[in-house]
Amino acid sequence: MVTEEELEHVSKLMRIDVDDHKEFIEKVHAMIDYFDILDSAGVESEEISMPEISLSNLRKDEYIPFDDKLIEKLNHYKGTYVRAPKMSS
Amino acid sequence: MNLKISALDYIQEVKIGNISAEDFVAKTLEQIHNEDDKLHAFLSVNEKAVDQARDIDKKIKSGEKVGDCFGMPISIKDNLCIKDSKTTCASKMLENFIAPYDATVIRKLKQQDAIFVGKVNMDEFAMGLTTEFSAFGPSKNPWNNDCVPGGSSGGSAVSVSAFECVASLGSDTGGSVRNPASFCSAVGFKPTYGLISRFGLISYANSIEQIGPLTRTVKDTAFMLNMISGIDPNDNTTIDNKNEDYLSGIDSGIEGKKIGIIKEMIGEGIDPAVLSATKDAISKLESLGAICEEISLDMVKYSVAAYYTITATEAGSNLARYDNIRYGYDFPLEGYEFNSYISKARRNFGPEVTRRMIIGGFVPSSGQAGKYFLKALKVKSKLTNEINDAFKRFDLLLSPTVPVLPFKLGEKIDDPVSLFLVDINTVTANLTEKPAISVPFAISNGLPIGIQLMADTLQDKQLLQAAYALEQTVRLPEVPL
Repeated sequence: MVTEEELEHVSKLMRIDVDDHKEFIEKVHAMIDYFDILDSAGVESEEISMPEISLSNLRKDEYIPFDDKLIEKLNHYKGTYVRAPKMSS
Repeated sequence: MNLKISALDYIQEVKIGNISAEDFVAKTLEQIHNEDDKLHAFLSVNEKAVDQARDIDKKIKSGEKVGDCFGMPISIKDNLCIKDSKTTCASKMLENFIAPYDATVIRKLKQQDAIFVGKVNMDEFAMGLTTEFSAFGPSKNPWNNDCVPGGSSGGSAVSVSAFECVASLGSDTGGSVRNPASFCSAVGFKPTYGLISRFGLISYANSIEQIGPLTRTVKDTAFMLNMISGIDPNDNTTIDNKNEDYLSGIDSGIEGKKIGIIKEMIGEGIDPAVLSATKDAISKLESLGAICEEISLDMVKYSVAAYYTITATEAGSNLARYDNIRYGYDFPLEGYEFNSYISKARRNFGPEVTRRMIIGGFVPSSGQAGKYFLKALKVKSKLTNEINDAFKRFDLLLSPTVPVLPFKLGEKIDDPVSLFLVDINTVTANLTEKPAISVPFAISNGLPIGIQLMADTLQDKQLLQAAYALEQTVRLPEVPL
């Protein structure tokens, strides 16, 4: 059973801040509680299959020129640098 | 001017000179103007569409080579990038985002002289199945304006069904093309994973989502697939389909085909009208020579939980880029510390996106991954094995697309878990990478019901043949606009 404290901790890590805190956490709580059904799936011994793509099928690692200056599409930049707020000390 | 024609009929009429692309596109924009205040399918309309159509007419008249779409008006879900156009994902976060490049599907359609009449509504970042989570307000079901049109590609389905375009592109992560197609009586197709490039589709859950067409007929879907499928160096998950022609032989029929009826998808919670339509579809397919038998897939019961666990995890990662520094709306940097700046920016996400981000942070986290994320991946693997075994016995699998009829706007919005269960019949195809299609089959009390057919990996052509056979068994009433 997930606790509200755990969800609040994750929200903080994900940099998410909400107004209607109680209602919000209740809904997230209900959604995660539903996932408990996975416990009865009996898949503990199942192997996880992952897709494999061979290196020869990947696009060549080469520079593809792009006409637009993408940095100019940002709201805050200076020269070739992206501007961001200061980190806390 | 008849706007209700199919895409293929439109092309034929323009080719032989019975109609001009300019007149048809102008009339289509008039239809959008007349209907969309009520239906809200469109988030933006391409005001240059008529000029573009006029240019295509000029090419036709001068004998220049013209692309296979002949100026066909298409709507595009607003999570697909069209260069120099707004691409909002129905989110305030991207309200003013102008895409700097074309998605591969857009590039291909432009090369074939398609015309994009506008960008259509969706649930924010494609998270939802009603369009009620759009930051710009929900779309309405053309069959009953009090009901949801389905989602997340709700605007696509509404625009096709209400004659505001002849075809549309949506994206399908857990049923987001098939669900609204079913609710609005359109054809909706989710191809084999990798058949259509995702380059330029704003990512939600990369490992399972696919772009798919919504059209008025199965033949139109096959045509659209011819236009947009195939390998793409910009998407390493694409498959070389050797330029397969999905239209040829579409009327091959289904005599002798074995069809499995998925028991878990017609059980508890199914609306009696949906069950009755499903039984009718089975009878009609049997009368065409198909052999139908029930099959049980144990993992279907766990598929929705696995689906939401996996998609939330991938969404949590994909949405991390929306920090108002690289992407986001404009507000000044001064006076903010880094983390509080991002938190403030993320208040611009709607409630469902915010919930899924938190879930996406929680379920794969240290100490929780074994219980949630890894278990979900194991369910996905076991479900894939079950489906692969099923396709050793059957050519196709059948179920209703959605177990319930279109419901009222607002009816389920405050109950996320009851919304989850609407996805029960559609997520399996995504989790197992199989192609699936929703075919309009019945109207019950004025509300549409779609039947879903699923085929084995890369059997998309055979799937379209079966869907065409099923489509030919019914003649449905016209949408009451």
